[in-house]
Amino acid sequence: MNKKRRMFVRMVTASLVRRRSRMIVALLAIIVGATILSGLGMIYFDVPRQMSAQFRSYGANIIFTPSDDGYIDKDSLEKGISCFSKEQLEGYTPYRYENTSIHNIPVTLAGTDFSGVLKTSPYWHINGSMPSSDGEALIGAKAAEKLGISVGDSISAQNSFEVTDETDLTGIPDYEIYTDPETGEKYCDHMLELKAAGILETGGSEEEYIYVTLADIQSLTLSDRGYDIVEVSVAAMQDELKDYLKQVGEKTPDISARLVKRVTASESTVLTKLEALVLIVTIVVLALTMICVATTMTAVIAERRKEIGLRKALGAQNSSIMAEFLSEGLVLGGVGGIAGSLLGFVFADIVSMNVFSSPITFRPLLLPITIAASVIVTGLACMIPIKSAVEVDPALVLKGE
Amino acid sequence: MSLLELKDVSKVYGELHALEKANLKVDKGEWIAIMGPSGSGKSTMMNIIGCMDRPSSGQVIFDGRDITKESRKKLTEFHRDKIGLVFQQFHLINYLNAVENVMVAQYYHSMPDEKEALEALERVGLKDRARHLPSQLSGGEQQRVCIARALINSPELILADEPTGNLDEANENIVLDIFRQLHKEGTSLIVVTHDPEVGEVAQRIVRLDHGKIISDKKNESFSEGE
Ligand SMILES: Nc1ncnc2c1ncn2[C@@H]1O[C@H](COP(=O)(O)OP(=O)(O)O)[C@@H](O)[C@H]1O
Ligand SMILES: [Mg+2]
Repeated sequence: MNKKRRMFVRMVTASLVRRRSRMIVALLAIIVGATILSGLGMIYFDVPRQMSAQFRSYGANIIFTPSDDGYIDKDSLEKGISCFSKEQLEGYTPYRYENTSIHNIPVTLAGTDFSGVLKTSPYWHINGSMPSSDGEALIGAKAAEKLGISVGDSISAQNSFEVTDETDLTGIPDYEIYTDPETGEKYCDHMLELKAAGILETGGSEEEYIYVTLADIQSLTLSDRGYDIVEVSVAAMQDELKDYLKQVGEKTPDISARLVKRVTASESTVLTKLEALVLIVTIVVLALTMICVATTMTAVIAERRKEIGLRKALGAQNSSIMAEFLSEGLVLGGVGGIAGSLLGFVFADIVSMNVFSSPITFRPLLLPITIAASVIVTGLACMIPIKSAVEVDPALVLKGE
Repeated sequence: MSLLELKDVSKVYGELHALEKANLKVDKGEWIAIMGPSGSGKSTMMNIIGCMDRPSSGQVIFDGRDITKESRKKLTEFHRDKIGLVFQQFHLINYLNAVENVMVAQYYHSMPDEKEALEALERVGLKDRARHLPSQLSGGEQQRVCIARALINSPELILADEPTGNLDEANENIVLDIFRQLHKEGTSLIVVTHDPEVGEVAQRIVRLDHGKIISDKKNESFSEGE
């Protein structure tokens, strides 16, 4: 048996290697099919991840607000944030709003953490630069227009509050006491000098505010109250987000967490449609590959009709000729599948870089699946022409003259 | 006892009688030439004897068995075991080298054995060409590979259809020498030819015309070896 098997391998190898110029056409068809199959597979499985990362760039998808009239203090924020898994939490940004006046025009000042703000508001467009230290401010475009501020200007924000005891003010630099001549009440005019580092454009209400660091707003107001709102960005799908909301509600009753509806709802619809599209394209590609391989194999086998007749004349049974030709096809399918599954990864990565600007996650399981699919499709595609080809009449194809 | 007997064998293609009531007896070890003009039914007769085709009517008795009644599978096995074929067009597998082409016949017959295959090539004078592909061999060399392939399984009968039709005289003589050698060893030979020179060296000459055997004579000029 051993010698026979060795001869079998020898014939199949010789046919593949010595007829490679013919085989290359079939192999190319298989490689193209396998590449698209594995590439689309990678994309199909990676799309949800990519898409949620993508949607994330349209802003935070969870908002924390205080559950009563108060504020969110630091401790409960930390508790709330700890509910999210580290891998999925992309960032969060607290905001604290205060009404002040600048050059005697009322303006809302927003204290925030500039380091994380692009995680939750990646769509912010800044002319100039993002504030990098205390004393720098990011001016909303509308506020800048109202106040006539441009990048690099110095501004001073003014906060007035009533003082009952002047000793409370010890240690605060730069303030003026002012007494209302009618009521006799004393007020403190506390000033904060700021430099406009950049102008913010968002197309939304953010353009009305002036953003400063949390430390600046604290020193302006002389108070360290908590936050008014916290924006959270989590890379998770709708259902998972809902679970998170429940957890946050249970763990920190003073935080009311809710989804930013606009983004997450459309996210899911688009995703479902996209997945369906990829699935359909995959099926169409598989069918096309099969037709292409079958056509190529039909041509390859047609030119071997004489060889099949000869083998029959030498005493070959149909089944053994089929086994030989099928093995050639399966080897081609395997080689094409291996090459295609690797090329598919490259293809998916290029698509991902171009569409989502991020690399694809390599899914090793897709390699054996692609190779198996490639072998099966090639096998089926070969069976059709082989089955009819082995029926040739040796006397007819070997006829002399 | 005769090796092969055709009894009233006919082959009809529509209106055309390619072979009509042919009767022929071949003894073991006999060397027969079948001659006739083109279209006279020589190949048709060969294909029937070689189990590659079935007659429209009549019986073919090979080694005491009526092979016209056998199933296709049995027929294939039978022909594989008893008959070695040589064609005018050589018909080698173009991606296999000489020795591999010989081994293919062993492969379908029983067990491939490279040593034996090389010995067969040596017999036809092609030992040093064993690793050449058919495209690297001359016509005469290709035909000798075919003969090596035909005799590798020690068949009782070698059927050759115009084996020298595509060969020059030098190669024709080499092939005829190999036939003489085989005949001496006791192999039965049926050689189809329209070339008188090839016919003259056989023991017996059967002439066909329009599908009918018109003569069947011993060859007086036949000589048993030089
Ligand atoms: N498969 C076929 N179908 C129809 N006619 C055939 C077929 N094979 C042979 N013939 C006809 O039968 C006759 C004998 O053919 P053949 O045996 O090939 O002659 P030759 O003596 O030249 O070998 C010819 O007229 C040929 O055209
Ligand atoms: Mg002929």
